[in-house]
Amino acid sequence: MATLITPSAERHVELLEQVWAERQGVLGWLTTTDHKRIGILYFFTSLAFFAAGGVEALLIRTQLVGPNGHVLSPAAFDEMFTMHGITMIFLFVIPMTTGAFGNYLIPLMIGARDMAFPRMNAVSYWIFLGSGIFMYIGLVTGHAPNSGWFDYVPLASKQFDPGNNIDFYGYGLIFNGISSTAAAINFIVTIFKLRAPGMSLNRMPLFCYAFLAVSFSLVFALPALSMACVFLELDRQLGFHFYDVSNGGDPLLWQNLFWIFGHPEVYIIILPAFGIATSIIPTFVRRKMVAFPLVALAEIMVAFLGFGVWVHHMFAVGLATITTIYFAAASLIIVIPSAIQLFAWIATILTGTPIFKTPLLFIIGFILFFMIGGLSGVTVAAIPFDQQVEDSYYIVAHFHFVIFGAAVFPILGGMYYWFPKVTGRMYHEGVGKVSFYLTFTGTLVTFFPMHILGILGMPRRVYTYPAHMGWTFLNLLESIGSYVLASGLILIVVNLAVSLFRGPLAGNDPFEGDTLEWSTTSPPPPYNYPLIPTVSSPYAMWDKEDRELDNRRLARGEGLLARGHETPASTVQDAEWDEILHMPPHSAWPPVVGLTLTGMFLMLLLHHYEIAAGFLVAGGLALLAWHNKEYAG
Amino acid sequence: MSSSGEHPPRPSGRAGVIPRSSEATTAGAVALVARRRVAQPNGWWGMALFVASEATLFGTLIATYFYLDFNAPRWPPAGIKAPSVVLPLIATAVLVSTTVPMFLSVRAARAGYAGLAARFVGAALLVQCIYLAGQILLFRHDLNDFRPDQSAYASIYFTTLAAHHAHVLLGILLNGWVAARIGIGGLTTYRLTAVRCVALYWYVVNALAVLVVLTQLSPSL
Repeated sequence: MATLITPSAERHVELLEQVWAERQGVLGWLTTTDHKRIGILYFFTSLAFFAAGGVEALLIRTQLVGPNGHVLSPAAFDEMFTMHGITMIFLFVIPMTTGAFGNYLIPLMIGARDMAFPRMNAVSYWIFLGSGIFMYIGLVTGHAPNSGWFDYVPLASKQFDPGNNIDFYGYGLIFNGISSTAAAINFIVTIFKLRAPGMSLNRMPLFCYAFLAVSFSLVFALPALSMACVFLELDRQLGFHFYDVSNGGDPLLWQNLFWIFGHPEVYIIILPAFGIATSIIPTFVRRKMVAFPLVALAEIMVAFLGFGVWVHHMFAVGLATITTIYFAAASLIIVIPSAIQLFAWIATILTGTPIFKTPLLFIIGFILFFMIGGLSGVTVAAIPFDQQVEDSYYIVAHFHFVIFGAAVFPILGGMYYWFPKVTGRMYHEGVGKVSFYLTFTGTLVTFFPMHILGILGMPRRVYTYPAHMGWTFLNLLESIGSYVLASGLILIVVNLAVSLFRGPLAGNDPFEGDTLEWSTTSPPPPYNYPLIPTVSSPYAMWDKEDRELDNRRLARGEGLLARGHETPASTVQDAEWDEILHMPPHSAWPPVVGLTLTGMFLMLLLHHYEIAAGFLVAGGLALLAWHNKEYAG
Repeated sequence: MSSSGEHPPRPSGRAGVIPRSSEATTAGAVALVARRRVAQPNGWWGMALFVASEATLFGTLIATYFYLDFNAPRWPPAGIKAPSVVLPLIATAVLVSTTVPMFLSVRAARAGYAGLAARFVGAALLVQCIYLAGQILLFRHDLNDFRPDQSAYASIYFTTLAAHHAHVLLGILLNGWVAARIGIGGLTTYRLTAVRCVALYWYVVNALAVLVVLTQLSPSL
């Protein structure tokens, strides 16, 4: 709450502090079920993987800085670009957006005290950590996946890649998928059931719509990837023939299954960025979003349509013309909901009074990059053009503008925007702006020339090139750009790290934000809100009367819910209070489950199937013990 | 005013107070919570989404089966005879029949009859165990005829069946846990939600059993 207006309100808060007191030290972090602590764990873990993926990218660019480079061997180059892709997609963007931003912010934005399933939330994190370590064991031991992030067979089959490299990929992604599925289910139930009274679906912040759309996409897209990887490992380990054309299998089966997951995955990556953009823009232009219902619908539509376009990744494989034309048309339809959002952001900024602080600068960068990446996306939806630039640097340029420029820039802007809320301190605005200009310039210089290189014919994934191809200058430029980009990213980390200790105190609401999280203290207490807030619009923090009413209710102790870790559950559509739930305070079982699954997948990789089964049974027993203590709901 | 104990009023002005689920420790109180609740409990939603994900997984398996089928010149390939129809259909019908006791167990639990609910789950569990034992025998019998590493047909045939049997096994473990929990410890709100979740799981697994068996038998139909 903004202020504790009476001594009785202070007494009520003291009571909550006692009820929600958390374990201290390492044990506290290991056994935590607090969504904010889990969000912070996700943040630092995915940031570490971002650093690893960044180093891989810099190694790639250093190898390509000039012709006939010798920094990396061809085999090491293959491992680098494969691990770079896997890391950035599965170990950075998804866990950073859903894991860190979603976990920390969704319960706060909807006025809840935790996620719907706090222990499952913790287990999602521990499984994610286990899967990341699992895949990086491959890199450390010299057996990293090496056939690209989409891992096409037959290149990835046992016959052509007999080592353990691909198995780290296959098992690793099945393992990682368990974490993402559990997290997605948790987000949907949290958003459906734990919204504060009055926050009917049409009053929910657009950020939550984006995360709802992402979570549904994850639930329905991941099974295709998981099954594709199961088939791959059955082929590789037990001699099955799903992808083996000589025994009735089909390599195109992999491509279809992978992209049935892979294209929704693009929207899984970018929709949280849309959500972050729609949070930052209203705050810094001092007005409500233009076309709120249309933007909400567009977010859902993008996720839905994303399931019907996967073949546009396969235009060059020789499918029937009618098939490719259908998917080209379907791909073009996605322009409509994407453009609705784009125009809504631009219209909101143009008709508001923008304050160009660092978070908004990153969002403007995002809009520009999304336009560039979106327009190049439209060009590759044209089948003849796509067939010309397939597997060239043009494609690399396109998807980096989309999944770096458009997906990561809002993450960076969001890091600045919510830094005061999470830490209670302000970042340095001047350094923030410099970091924006560095990353913006670095991104443009690194990725824009790739369009030209692609049209000049440079194929992606070549480990070097001869001097006479005419590609030298642009490659040099890109490599310089990548170092500028890296310096900008490092500056962001330095700014935030220094501000954590030296930044001025931020207060509850330094930006006069529009959503509920700004009404509580910075950082928020373990119980988030002393009492569950009342909501009557999607811009709850701008409804001053509601916030004053909350303060008066707190002073009276009305609906404090302090008999334990209590939070209300509400009805799905209208968000009317339905029951009061008692949430689990902490649990040692989630890390145990994460550990047993890590052991299981390592043993599967090493072909110790009996020990793997033992780990599975141990995980089952841990789940049994987990449910021994009952919490209502 | 009291601080922690007070129930907030319902915003819509509906009668009664908002139930505290954790306070329902007797069968009657559990039934009361169930009656007062308007929306489905969180656990039910969690299970609904989990089974939606599992159904998509089976959708992938079945789509793969027909993808390989449509690309094959002969399906099943030479040397493998088309599957027999009668026994798998009877077995599936037996499994699907457990939908009834699962449904009744939910009804009984919601009405506060812990013992009856546990007995219905137990009855379903018995039939499901017999079904799985029979399926394992059929699976072994099939393995004597042809091996999964023999052709793409054999690979998808055995993988789909194994995936389905694994789901039946998981359901059996869940049913055993629920039956023991309610049978020994009585009803709580948590266990009532557990019964509803496990029943929902079985409704979907039973529906998937029909799709899987029709896929499996498609060359003979």
